[in-house]
Amino acid sequence: MPCLIALIIFGIMGIFSASHRALAKEAFSCVFKRVTLRPCNSDFKEKIKSKILSKLINRSLFMTRMVNKHYEILSWIFFILMVGSTIWVLRGGYNFYVYGSCNGLNESGFCAFDPSGENNKVTELDLSCPITPQIEKNVTLNNVDLSSFTTQNINSKDDVVLIGCYACDYSRKAYPDILKLVKNKKANFTFAHYPAKGNTTVLAETAYCINKDYPDKFWDFNNYLFTEDLNYILDINNSDSILEHFNLDVEKINECINSKETKNIIENQVKELNKTNIYGTPTVFINGKAFVGPKPYRVYRSAINKFIFF
Amino acid sequence: MKDLNKTREEFKILNKENSENPIYFDSACMSLKPNQVVEAMNDYYYNFPACAGRSSHKLGDKVTEKIKETRDLIKKFINAKSEKEIIFTRNTTEGINLLSNGFSFQKGDVVLITDREHNSNLVPWLVLRDKIGIELRVLPSREDNTFDLEKYNEMVKGVKLVSMVYTSNLDGVTIPAKEIIDIAHKNGALVFLDAAQTIPHRKIDVKDLDVDFLAFSGHKMLGPTGTGVFYGKENLLEKLSPFLVGGDTVEYTTYTDYKMLELPEKFEAGLQDYAGIIGLGEAVKYLNNLDYTLIQKHEFELNKYITDEISKLPQIKIIGPLDPNLRSGIVNFYVENTDMHKFALMLDNMANISIRSGQHCVHSYFESRKIKNSARLSLYFYNTIAEAETFINNLNKIIKIIS
Repeated sequence: MPCLIALIIFGIMGIFSASHRALAKEAFSCVFKRVTLRPCNSDFKEKIKSKILSKLINRSLFMTRMVNKHYEILSWIFFILMVGSTIWVLRGGYNFYVYGSCNGLNESGFCAFDPSGENNKVTELDLSCPITPQIEKNVTLNNVDLSSFTTQNINSKDDVVLIGCYACDYSRKAYPDILKLVKNKKANFTFAHYPAKGNTTVLAETAYCINKDYPDKFWDFNNYLFTEDLNYILDINNSDSILEHFNLDVEKINECINSKETKNIIENQVKELNKTNIYGTPTVFINGKAFVGPKPYRVYRSAINKFIFF
Repeated sequence: MKDLNKTREEFKILNKENSENPIYFDSACMSLKPNQVVEAMNDYYYNFPACAGRSSHKLGDKVTEKIKETRDLIKKFINAKSEKEIIFTRNTTEGINLLSNGFSFQKGDVVLITDREHNSNLVPWLVLRDKIGIELRVLPSREDNTFDLEKYNEMVKGVKLVSMVYTSNLDGVTIPAKEIIDIAHKNGALVFLDAAQTIPHRKIDVKDLDVDFLAFSGHKMLGPTGTGVFYGKENLLEKLSPFLVGGDTVEYTTYTDYKMLELPEKFEAGLQDYAGIIGLGEAVKYLNNLDYTLIQKHEFELNKYITDEISKLPQIKIIGPLDPNLRSGIVNFYVENTDMHKFALMLDNMANISIRSGQHCVHSYFESRKIKNSARLSLYFYNTIAEAETFINNLNKIIKIIS
């Protein structure tokens, strides 16, 4: 057993170091003999054991004696731990690739590949006393009516829904990747604005009105809001000039914005979005599966790909 | 004569700067080399790297002269009658093979060996037994591995050749060679002595011993690897067939005939290891400047200290007699049911102590006594009591974890 562990460890270390390569060769010889049901007559096992004991002997005689006595059992324990940790690392790597977090989809625990947790950061919603606990598994599109939101429906089998906020950094970060995904994978796309940060309700109302009166201008306007300087778009004094920028009838749009109907619709939209149990933006649903936080593009792509990589 | 205490300075490996010097207890396998041996070999390669005995130029002449000088040194070193009796070989094993292949053995001839022979003095005879049907007799030692003269007297009758290890690498026991040879001769047997482990530690006088054949290696007596000497009485060597033939062994050849050279060249086929032979000469010069009595006294002191300390550890069994006086520079020990490689590896890792572990090329002994393997210290004049103390301190620690 120690030979097998040594083969794996020295095999990896041997990639970088010639001295470890020689040890890996010895370990291989030992493993090969054992696999072919021959005794491992190399003194490799003793060599490694002696090295370990020699290091320990000047620190603790008791510990050295225990290691010497239970070397085989300890080897098994370390082997099982090694296999376990290897599986754990591989699982972490898989999760990171597919979900953007080592711990699984939307899991925000520490991940060595994403130590700052960028892929899970969200702008949290200020929902007091939510009926359903705000945890990842409760986030769903079931029983949520998205018909009032703007959709690019191209009759694709894949559906992408982005719940984001114009003023939220993480939504702004995710938005270009979602656009890229929709374009490359030719998916149906629904954008739903949730005013998680700042006074963005007016922007949502504006977008709604543009979609109502100038549906062909909606996506350009939406893209503009997600890419233009945040302070500029949030400044109410710039509203008219932004509309002018898109050659829209400013008066007509403002009238729409101020209408009770629009206010009700936007309010209802937020109520509808609250049914999803989202706890932050951006939250992206790809074919119903929720991805909370700005994931790397490959994560979104993997969710649509049939076989993860393609 | 040199002061033994100052010899360590003449071994580069024992005086390394910025590194831990080894505690070298494996001289029975390979002795360390004094600087002058290495320098002499370098001198050959740097200044006159030519052939001996065949090239008519100054460089060739110098090599010829150096080889002749070394042969003469060795002749005097073992007190041979003539330089014709000194044949350069690669090692002791080659010398024994020269004898086993060159001696005119017939089917049924008896060769007598001891039960503690190195493979080099066992395998050639086993091969000869299978090849031409000689009889191989194995003389059992006494329980403490000392030589059983009584048993020898019984077994030597009808023997053609007594071939024995002079000092054993297994336990350091030196056989009573003079008596053995005397008895053998009275019984009409010739005697070969494997002196590989003897010559580094005690003076050998082949005339006084009246030994017929003797071989030793350079690398165990401060000389370079790949060098050795086979000695034979001139009249016996004349009768011996060459083992290796070809270049340098013949006076002339035609397509149908050849004439062998005289002794010793007829046994030295092919281009020789000139650098090695020159280095061997330097080793002999070095040993000539040491007092063998002091070497033995020093080795005994070390051996006694180690033996006394080891004897305090009940788990350890010493191979051979307990009296260190009978074991030259060898302390060979084992712990029942324990792989002694572990000891060697740990000592090496813990304190840079080099000892040998295994069956020491005497597998037959270990197999017959069902001993897995052993750990062997082989001491020489450059070892110190301080080194022996370090060994014992570390051995005590290992024993505590093993037991």
